Amino acid sequence: ANMKLIFFFSALIGASLCLETFVGHQVLRIKTKNEEEVKQLQLLESLEHLQLDFWINPSAPALPVDVRIPAVNVQSVKAFLESQGIEYSILIEDLQDVLDKEKQDMAESAQRQRSSSFDFGAYHTLDDIYKELDHLASEYSFVEKIQIGESYEKRPLYVLKFSTGGSNRPAIWLDAGIHSREWVTQASALWIANKIASDYGTDASVTSLLDKMDLFLLPVANPDGFVYTHTSNRMWRKTRSKIPGSICLGVDPNRNWDAGFGGPGASNKPCSESYHGPSANSEVEVKSVVDFIKNHGNFKAFLTLHSYSQLLMYPYGYKCTRPDDYAELESLGRAAASSIRSLYGTTFQVGSICKTIYQASGGSIDWSYDNGIKYSFAFELRDTGRYGFLLPASQIIPTAKETWLGLKRIMEHVQ
Amino acid sequence: RAMELPPSHFSAARAAAVAVGYLRYLRGGPGRGLELRALRRARRQDMDDVGHKYYLELELEDVLDKGRTAHCTAEVLYHLGSKSTAPDVQVTVQGELRSTEEADEEFYNRIRSLEKELVAENIPDSHGSVPPELEPIHLLAWAASGYVIWQNSTENTKFHLAQVKHVKQVKRSDEDLQFDYVLLLHEMVSQEVMPWEVTVLWHPRRGARVSRDRRQPGHA
Repeated sequence: ANMKLIFFFSALIGASLCLETFVGHQVLRIKTKNEEEVKQLQLLESLEHLQLDFWINPSAPALPVDVRIPAVNVQSVKAFLESQGIEYSILIEDLQDVLDKEKQDMAESAQRQRSSSFDFGAYHTLDDIYKELDHLASEYSFVEKIQIGESYEKRPLYVLKFSTGGSNRPAIWLDAGIHSREWVTQASALWIANKIASDYGTDASVTSLLDKMDLFLLPVANPDGFVYTHTSNRMWRKTRSKIPGSICLGVDPNRNWDAGFGGPGASNKPCSESYHGPSANSEVEVKSVVDFIKNHGNFKAFLTLHSYSQLLMYPYGYKCTRPDDYAELESLGRAAASSIRSLYGTTFQVGSICKTIYQASGGSIDWSYDNGIKYSFAFELRDTGRYGFLLPASQIIPTAKETWLGLKRIMEHVQ
Repeated sequence: RAMELPPSHFSAARAAAVAVGYLRYLRGGPGRGLELRALRRARRQDMDDVGHKYYLELELEDVLDKGRTAHCTAEVLYHLGSKSTAPDVQVTVQGELRSTEEADEEFYNRIRSLEKELVAENIPDSHGSVPPELEPIHLLAWAASGYVIWQNSTENTKFHLAQVKHVKQVKRSDEDLQFDYVLLLHEMVSQEVMPWEVTVLWHPRRGARVSRDRRQPGHA
């Protein structure tokens, strides 16, 4: 009777304090030898005032019984078991300790998540972009970071290779930031890289694409210029190479390709923003890409991102005659522009470079097209001039999303 | 006699930019920023001994009132062989633009009551941000840039305002507000970014006037 009274009072106290804490609670594992012992435990189970929490209920002798016991009742329950000769061991000495440790682990993990989580809706420095490339490569087995060369100022040129297997599969090339002040392009390329990596295996289109083809993405094609836009002049466009005989620096990397090099639409003046350089491929940033693509030998598409103007263009720029594949490229361009428009209503004009923007020689997609890469397109992303190069960061992700739809449409056709 | 042009053709787009620049100057201000939403139709007429004339049908919108579209027709005449004469522009706007009376009064009173003359730079900043209280200064610059763009355009140029590099208010004894701007203009064909000094006078009822403008030597 006394025992029952003690149990009763302790139950009352526990209830009135309304504690959610498990300080001193123990979890015991009880090994029953026979039916008799199982019945004893079932009796214990029926004593509600003990507030026993059975994690595994007593049912059959062969099965262990796990029970959580509130601190205040631990000694009396143990005494009972011992008096009955029922074997037990302590699974958890103090449950609160375990919970505290778990909480700490989770907080640390969340902290790690937050600090390594890349904000795709913001503009970043080159160092932070390069860190994110490492992160993507480490997180996804089919993503690899390759160095294809070095810039004039010796910065690495990093390409992300997306490949699920095969040997030198047909490939798609995508680059951004060849003109360093066009910040929405590098930013969009990062978002797109992450999108492709995370969609593989869940999105039918991306999965089908990467099961058949490889993708090579160069998010910062002009790292020297990009750093310069952060440190010195936000409006810098060109590379940062020294030009013999001139005080001005830099070559327009999109006038430096071997396609109508030196022709109309490029300047021979070193101080000009569209200076074509001393010779084709004089810029290491251009030569590195040319060599990589030639050595690979199996590229089927060459896609390049610029801003601004909202245009989707195919060759040629160096001449105003139609490419042989004009009909197909025009049609595919229109389809891609339609995909882009489907998301937010953003309209892109479609046409050849020469008809849409200006005659411009030495451009990358003219080179790629004349070198057998049929699906060569240049995108000019948002906007149409209100913010121009200084596109608000809030528009990065919408821009990346709509651009991705256009790229995807082209890639689906190329497959 | 006038030849139809595809609206996506660069010559049509350049003429449209001139027309929109002109209209932005005439009708824009701290409370209204007009931009081209779409070029619906473009025709070109080559006039012997005179120049090239473009006939345009445009859809414009006020960036502060995006739900509404204003239909416009415009004529842009580039004078033959002239680098020093601005193109002749005529624009007709169909329908009403959103009223800016309240916003204009509020802006006018705010600036007039400043103890120190307003000074600011890099609008927008590198990340495209404009602090809300500087948005009217940005829009006024955009309107003033319309004048410079109109005055300096040829068939071989397409200008946009890239950034307000610097702005300084100058207090006046008369009723106008005066802002001395250094604007960065981006010229699309050459890809040059040019600094341009522009002095703008503004009054709620009289609108914006460029009293002085000069291209600064050198690059941005």
